[in-house]
Amino acid sequence: MTSGTGPVSGTILVVGGGISGLTAALEAAEVGYDVILVEKNPYLGGRVAQLNKYFPKLCPPTCGLEINFKRIKTNPRVKFYTLAEVEKVSGSPGNYDVSVKITPRYVNEKCVACNACAEVCPVTRENDFNFGMDTNKAAYKPHDMAFPMQYVIDGKVCQKESCAKCVAVCKYDAIDLKMEPKNLELKVGSIVWATGWNPYDAAKMDNLGFGKYKNVITNMMMERLAAPNGPTAGKILRPSDGKEIQKIAFVQCAGSRDENHLPYCSYICCLASLKQATYVAEQYPDAKIFIYYIDIRTPGRYENFYRKVAANPNISLIKGKVAQIEEDPATKDVTVVAENTATGAKVREKVDMAVLAAGMQPMMAGTDISLNAPLNESSFVLADPQRGISACGCAKEPLDVVSCAETATGAAMKAIQTLVRR
Amino acid sequence: MAGYSVDPDVKFVKEIQKLGGESLKKCFQCATCSVICPLSSDEKPFPRKEMIWAQWGLKDKLVKNSDIWACHQCGDCSTYCPRGARPGDVVAAARAYAIREYAFPRFMGNLVGEGKYLPVILAIPLAIILLVLAALGNLKIPAGEIVYSKFLPIKFVDSIFLPFAGLAIISLGLGVRKFWNEMSPSRYRHLVGRNFFKSLLETIGEIVGHVRFKKCGTNVGRFTAHLAVFYGFVGLFATTTMVVFYEYILHRETPLPLYDPAKILGNISAIILFIGISLVIRNRLANPDQSSSYFDWSLILMIFGVVTSGILTELLRLANIANLAYPMYVVHLMFVFYIIGYLPYSKLAHMVYRTVALAYKRQVETIGM
Repeated sequence: MTSGTGPVSGTILVVGGGISGLTAALEAAEVGYDVILVEKNPYLGGRVAQLNKYFPKLCPPTCGLEINFKRIKTNPRVKFYTLAEVEKVSGSPGNYDVSVKITPRYVNEKCVACNACAEVCPVTRENDFNFGMDTNKAAYKPHDMAFPMQYVIDGKVCQKESCAKCVAVCKYDAIDLKMEPKNLELKVGSIVWATGWNPYDAAKMDNLGFGKYKNVITNMMMERLAAPNGPTAGKILRPSDGKEIQKIAFVQCAGSRDENHLPYCSYICCLASLKQATYVAEQYPDAKIFIYYIDIRTPGRYENFYRKVAANPNISLIKGKVAQIEEDPATKDVTVVAENTATGAKVREKVDMAVLAAGMQPMMAGTDISLNAPLNESSFVLADPQRGISACGCAKEPLDVVSCAETATGAAMKAIQTLVRR
Repeated sequence: MAGYSVDPDVKFVKEIQKLGGESLKKCFQCATCSVICPLSSDEKPFPRKEMIWAQWGLKDKLVKNSDIWACHQCGDCSTYCPRGARPGDVVAAARAYAIREYAFPRFMGNLVGEGKYLPVILAIPLAIILLVLAALGNLKIPAGEIVYSKFLPIKFVDSIFLPFAGLAIISLGLGVRKFWNEMSPSRYRHLVGRNFFKSLLETIGEIVGHVRFKKCGTNVGRFTAHLAVFYGFVGLFATTTMVVFYEYILHRETPLPLYDPAKILGNISAIILFIGISLVIRNRLANPDQSSSYFDWSLILMIFGVVTSGILTELLRLANIANLAYPMYVVHLMFVFYIIGYLPYSKLAHMVYRTVALAYKRQVETIGM
């Protein structure tokens, strides 16, 4: 090991283009290092882009993301790829070989997002950005504030040349249905895993009725329902019949702190439900809101937010985990059942909609060992600075956005150290 | 609200852990168990409160609590428990503890409840039987056709068993009285007692149909196994009653011919009991997650012993293998003694405590207390 005094050659690979990956990439680039950022979605911004508002200041996602997009646009040291997935990692610190597969977008940089292609496209698909609560076309804009602002064609459902209506209608020559998947072979010095998380599959909890009952949704679906660019244009309406909300239940620890599902606390779900209770209270000042919990966990100064929400007379916090949800087949109302441990009696609350506070499962769960990323038993990435591998954000542990950014800065620092000490 | 000062009995917590509730400290009181339990009521659900009583060593609350007897160890709570705290096993341990706690005399509860005393516990009936045989001068294998009643005449069998059965009934009565007095708060006791026999009959009706057991989710196989054991015993009890009638009223000779109604009933019941107890053993072995303590296994193996030795006693007689038949008969009597004589102290006592507790709960629910 030789000690360097300044930047040496070598590139940092950041895997994942959410708030953590963006931050890590920019921090390293702004110090003077070359960074490659790969993102598997057709847009940057990750989970934050799907939120209605986020902590600590309850800003909309544009607030934090736009500044980062601007930094990326103006910084020549960051090169990013969307629709790109890391397939294989080999080598050693300072000399990693990384294979990246790029799924064709079928739309090039000439796209001006005029929507003409989507208008003529005959194929509809489930809109995964809104968790399947609405549909869009096979030629679609990922979402309203997508970066890069470029349409994408879903190769799994598009009829390609047999249809090609979009090609005919595009005035900018931006569509190329002949695009092929590409492989990139990258040489990098160190790797930052910022792969983020998936909402835990709530259907795995067979007692909570998700997937069976339409009015049982997850907390991330609630974010989309409340978001102005969501399927209901920001109006919180229940999925079965679009009815307004008079009574709603939040079910905490839906999968988290449960050794049959996710053994750890997902950190943010208590805050998310408290926040979502305020969404409901703002839209429906008379709605009755019930939050069922094991413990309300609002770390640090978030305790103040908890106090503010708990003071609302329409919001009831009940200590007792919901372990059963039933649907009234006629009205599609759902009844949540819990034991109120303060009174020692069971409570059955019939509500318009139940929101499961589904936990965070690392995106790395179920991934291949050939990625060479050290994982713990829950598939969170363990940082290994000796090997030039660091992790940040929810790839590392369940976190809020602020802490994601903090860990990203730390991970960038570790990545730089690997290059300098090489 | 009046203050409640918690006085933890740490020894009690350790006892419950030893009796199969070792996981109890893992509970974080989320109450998933109370909601998942198909038998738990809305007003007074269990077993969440039982878990905290066990954790805090609140022996007085846990042991006298009728809800531990409402639990049929379905295992649904343990399956869904997010912490692996296995509430079903903890409540089962509380029942085992309660049987020992109410045992009269107390030392008998300990003798039957702990594995190291098993040789003593089995030696007692064996010695009594051998002493009677010695007094009769029958310690050698008799020659000729195998007739057990010539080896050990029925009136001698009865003179051994009836006094011990009587003691068992008295002991059980004292235990249940203590349990009843602790379970029912004194200011309500006159109310609870009022229609007790009606509730008792309704409860027995439920037990006959195994109505509660049928609601079990996870361990649904236990329903069939327990039902078979239950009806095997009911059939054998009826057989015994018939044989007593034959012996003392009709003065008929044993062995009875194979076509005799009592014999047919006895043989069918023995087969049902054998199948039932074999299923019990299979279910326990197939479900290693469920805690099975000495308290569980001792009764299971004794029942397996009594039915296997009983069947062998009859088969060896029919096969005319005297050298094995007579000793097998003695072994069989030893097992029978265990089942009857130690009933107040073994897990078998659950049939009385559970019945009384369920009848009590039924009363309480009727009065709306």
